[in-house]
Amino acid sequence: MTVSETAFSAERGRSRFRQFWEGISVVFRSRVAVIGLSIVLFWILVAIFAPFITKHDPLAQNAQAINQGPSSTYWLGTDHLGRDIMARLAYGSRTILLLAPISVLASVIVGTVLGLVGGYFGGVVDEIVMRILDAIMAFPTILLYLIIIAAIGPSAVNVVIAITFVGSPGIARLVRSLTLDIRTRDYIRAAETRGEHPLYIMFVEILPNARGPLIIDALLRVGYAIFAIGTLGFLGLGLPPPTPDWGGMISEARKYIWTNPLGVLFPALAIASLVVGLNLFADGLREETTRYQ
Amino acid sequence: MRGPREIPILDVQGLAISYETRYGDVPAVRDVSFEIHRAETFGIVGESGCGKSTVAFGIVNFLGRNGKIVDGYILFQGRDLVGRTEEELRSLRGDRIAMVYQDPMQALNPSMRLGDQMAEVLVVHRGMKKADAEQKCIQMLERVYMPDPANVMRRYPHQISGGQQQRVVIAMALLNNPALLIMDEPTTALDVTVEAAVLDLINELQNEFDTAIMYISHNLGVIARVSDSIGVMYAGEIVERASVQDVFLKPAHPYTLGLMGCVPRLDTTKATSYLRPIRGRVPSPKNLPSGCIFEPRCDYAREICRQVKPEIREIQAGHWARCFFAEEIIEQQGAGVRERGEALLAGAQPPASEVPILRIRNARTYYPVPSRKLFGGEKLFVKAVDDVSLEVVPGRTLGIVGESGCGKSTLVKTIIGLEKPTGGEFEFMGFDISMPVSKRSLDLIRNLQMVFQNPDSTLNPSFSVGYQIARPLKRFKVVPPNQVRAEVVRLLNLMKLGENYYDRLPRQLSGGEKQRVAIARAIAAHPDLVLCDEPVSALDVSVQAAVLNLLLEIQQKLGTTLVFIAHDLSVVRFFCDNLAVMYLGQIAEIGPAEAIYLPPYHPYTEALLSAVPIPDPRAEQKHIRLSGTVPSALNPPSGCRFHTRCPRRAMLPDGGQICALEPPPEQFDTPEHRIFCHIPMEELRKMEAVVTIEKERSHAG
Amino acid sequence: MLVKDYMIKHPPLADPGMSIIEAQHYMAANQIRHLPVVGGGKRLLGLLSRQTLLIDPGRLASLDMWEITRYLSNLRVEDVMVKARDVVTIDPDTPIEQAALIMVEKQIGCLPVVSEGIVEGLITETDLLAHLTEMMSVRTPGVRVTVRMPMVKGELAKLVAAVAKHGWGIESLGGAVVPKDPAKWDAVIKIQQPKEEVLAALSSIEGQEIIDVREV
Repeated sequence: MTVSETAFSAERGRSRFRQFWEGISVVFRSRVAVIGLSIVLFWILVAIFAPFITKHDPLAQNAQAINQGPSSTYWLGTDHLGRDIMARLAYGSRTILLLAPISVLASVIVGTVLGLVGGYFGGVVDEIVMRILDAIMAFPTILLYLIIIAAIGPSAVNVVIAITFVGSPGIARLVRSLTLDIRTRDYIRAAETRGEHPLYIMFVEILPNARGPLIIDALLRVGYAIFAIGTLGFLGLGLPPPTPDWGGMISEARKYIWTNPLGVLFPALAIASLVVGLNLFADGLREETTRYQ
Repeated sequence: MRGPREIPILDVQGLAISYETRYGDVPAVRDVSFEIHRAETFGIVGESGCGKSTVAFGIVNFLGRNGKIVDGYILFQGRDLVGRTEEELRSLRGDRIAMVYQDPMQALNPSMRLGDQMAEVLVVHRGMKKADAEQKCIQMLERVYMPDPANVMRRYPHQISGGQQQRVVIAMALLNNPALLIMDEPTTALDVTVEAAVLDLINELQNEFDTAIMYISHNLGVIARVSDSIGVMYAGEIVERASVQDVFLKPAHPYTLGLMGCVPRLDTTKATSYLRPIRGRVPSPKNLPSGCIFEPRCDYAREICRQVKPEIREIQAGHWARCFFAEEIIEQQGAGVRERGEALLAGAQPPASEVPILRIRNARTYYPVPSRKLFGGEKLFVKAVDDVSLEVVPGRTLGIVGESGCGKSTLVKTIIGLEKPTGGEFEFMGFDISMPVSKRSLDLIRNLQMVFQNPDSTLNPSFSVGYQIARPLKRFKVVPPNQVRAEVVRLLNLMKLGENYYDRLPRQLSGGEKQRVAIARAIAAHPDLVLCDEPVSALDVSVQAAVLNLLLEIQQKLGTTLVFIAHDLSVVRFFCDNLAVMYLGQIAEIGPAEAIYLPPYHPYTEALLSAVPIPDPRAEQKHIRLSGTVPSALNPPSGCRFHTRCPRRAMLPDGGQICALEPPPEQFDTPEHRIFCHIPMEELRKMEAVVTIEKERSHAG
Repeated sequence: MLVKDYMIKHPPLADPGMSIIEAQHYMAANQIRHLPVVGGGKRLLGLLSRQTLLIDPGRLASLDMWEITRYLSNLRVEDVMVKARDVVTIDPDTPIEQAALIMVEKQIGCLPVVSEGIVEGLITETDLLAHLTEMMSVRTPGVRVTVRMPMVKGELAKLVAAVAKHGWGIESLGGAVVPKDPAKWDAVIKIQQPKEEVLAALSSIEGQEIIDVREV
């Protein structure tokens, strides 16, 4: 008595490459995701090819060309110190596109660990973790940023630390609730009956199954992180000048808004477009992956 | 008495339903035809994915956005339902056509009181005043034997048990006296004894209201009990349609024959029969064979079957089959009793050794429940397992049966260390195992493994089959690392899956295949004892048969001892050497399997056996029903826990006073067969057998 | 023996908005002679029969051919049905003889069985005939004897006692006043015993005379 499978082998065991391709192609099925992705890709390309897009030096000041509107030399105009806005945008994108993902990655790491531990062990451990997270989340975000940066000083690394600190609780909660659900599954029981170590169960058995919602959440958080970096920059708590920083640009150009509104507008648009692009991408992905449930 | 020209309540002809998907139209149902007359029950039986629920949804037009009827007609009392406006259909549904689902919570609104929901049915359709409607509802609840109906009206759905919820749903469905009642697996989620009571109720109500019933189930026993005629569905088509007698006693289609051959029966044992699973797999609707859809799996297939699709035709009066060779098939079995096939084991049972491999004495597992008060207050415990003693002999199978809440799952989890015992001795291979798994030695862990119930959650979705089977091999160092893959392949072959499953992910596997992988994973390290927690309950009948045979083979080849939990008494009968019946945390009866199915019985065993639906219309079965519901384990009844529902209490001289006062003594029918009951053994021995099947009967009957 | 025991439950029903063409088709295709028209919850609104579907020619007198077609195709069941208030109905808990009486007196062949305005079933002449056959156990073989006796208290008891004395059972028993002689009463009794024995037993009852005996 054999169970024959020959008739259906065609559907199975596709090559790794095809599986990967099919995973990626999910993205392309959603128009929303594609639009979002294009925006993000645009900025990534700008960041990579900044030197080729503009020949201006983002730090070069020009006393003769203060607060000018767009011209043939300065395509998007200049700021109050005569620096080319386009160049500052282009190079500024590098900072943001570097810091934001790093901060999110850091908060994902911290948050995941906390969430897994709290969700899997439950009991007292879970209570402690949850209360700590609650305490952090109780603070208004801006206030928290202020406190942290004020305590450790403004710098790129500290921006990352601040964002990690503020973002971890959200991720921890998400991972915790996913863990609570996955923990009830029989394959976790099976691992326990093999006497597997809790660390193995958490990171090898549970975590890979939480990655779906986690990835989408992380993508959204990159958007928030960009926003946060912009805010910090605006408040003067971000990267110290003269590093081109979109938030900082807005803050500085604010004083001259009546004479050169574009100085505020362009960086603002840049931030907005990047965040929107990321959100669209994440939304589209989420919609596509949950559509045929 | 039906008039000769009475039109059928439901007349479905050539129904075809398709779903629109990303990949085009998928024909889920093709060419389904049947009639249901007033006061008749038509049973539709088939395995998962055969389209039976789709047919039901098609009738009431609940197909969803992407489902559509592409052919055929559905005549309800002579008028076609296809093509009617949504408004017309809405007024029919609930008033003249009602539907009952498997999960009562699909019909009940959790945030409304039961009385309000029920009255709504009458108020909306009949324009009754609320007060009058409520009166009617109370009357209806009485008709469905709901205790204390006025009180129930004021409660919320979650405050009553599953069986009671289903009664409420049935009552709601019948409030407007519909001509047609569609029931989609209404009792599948219920315990056996509750199911039996609900099936009785349905019969009674049908007698009173003359309702036409369409009953969908995958359980052959239940279908045999409720139906007048049956349609067998396979992969979206009806392959056989006939009266209950004909389908079970003279099946004409190979698939029906196959189904009958893989259902374990109450009157067979491991040694006298062999389940014959149907080879192959159900075809996906996107990829149907070009000829007869059953041909790839059919033992009777010939060349023509591969090329031409058979139409369904009437081979005898009222007996339709979709097979070119139906007449031959009937003839082949007409002569004498149908054989069940060669014996599985040619007597090669390994001799049982004397020393039990697992020994449990006075086991207790209590769950603490937080007390209601904020501070202090009594500590409450759910006494899930309360004083259980049993032994398992190596090389044999011990079955544990009982309904939900009896503690069988908790017992098994305590044995394997997922739960902490509260008391008692647990001894495995001479070692004490009364501690959680994290504190056990690796060797002990390796020798005691488990197979779980739900095939969909037993495998980690993120890893391949090969990886998951390899894990125990690596962890317990069964073979050197460079031989792991070969060993995994060997195990896959043992499971009759094959090497090409190594890289597959669980979502590419069917339920039966997943369960086989889970079994492979459990036996990879050659454990001495494997605990199986209802491993086949979630599987289709034919898949169940394959997995059970597999487990038997493994036991034979590897000498593994098995502890098998089930709620299906016929499966356990076939599979187990010894059997324990549990009720509310205690053992009621324990002994060799044959002894349990024959008198003397514990009264609970007797009730359980009389409740199990038997897939054989010839079977005579006693009709013992338990009243009330299982008491809560928080506060179990004093003395014998079964005394609140025991139908045989009156057999004792003082009407069973002692049952409420003292725990029942252990009585021995034979040294291996123990019953815990106050009724003296001589009285118990006088009981009649619950099930008798007349093997030979003239076909005129 | 109440109406609810003999009525046909779940009869075919029509809704008021059905066109009469459709109704006609429906009734013809399924050989329905009487079709209740109901609203929500099976509330009786009216009754259709073959006759009501015949349109009074007077209605059409002034219309030309095309107008007639349009008029007919627009006609709904509710326009031609007998309205609920004019339909004779019966309650399910009524004794069945009452239903028969109504049918005889009002010369109608079918009664909708209605409870609180809701249609629960239909009872027709054929159902009553079925009841009659049941009552007379027409399917059971035996000896059928018609015994004429004076319409006086105790006479029937004498007959029954005579049967009981032999230890026999009575398969069916019916009776009626003799149409031409109101002082006399005929009892029709069926017994499953050989004809000669039955004759012997019953012919000797004082004051009673056997009118008919046959094996059925």
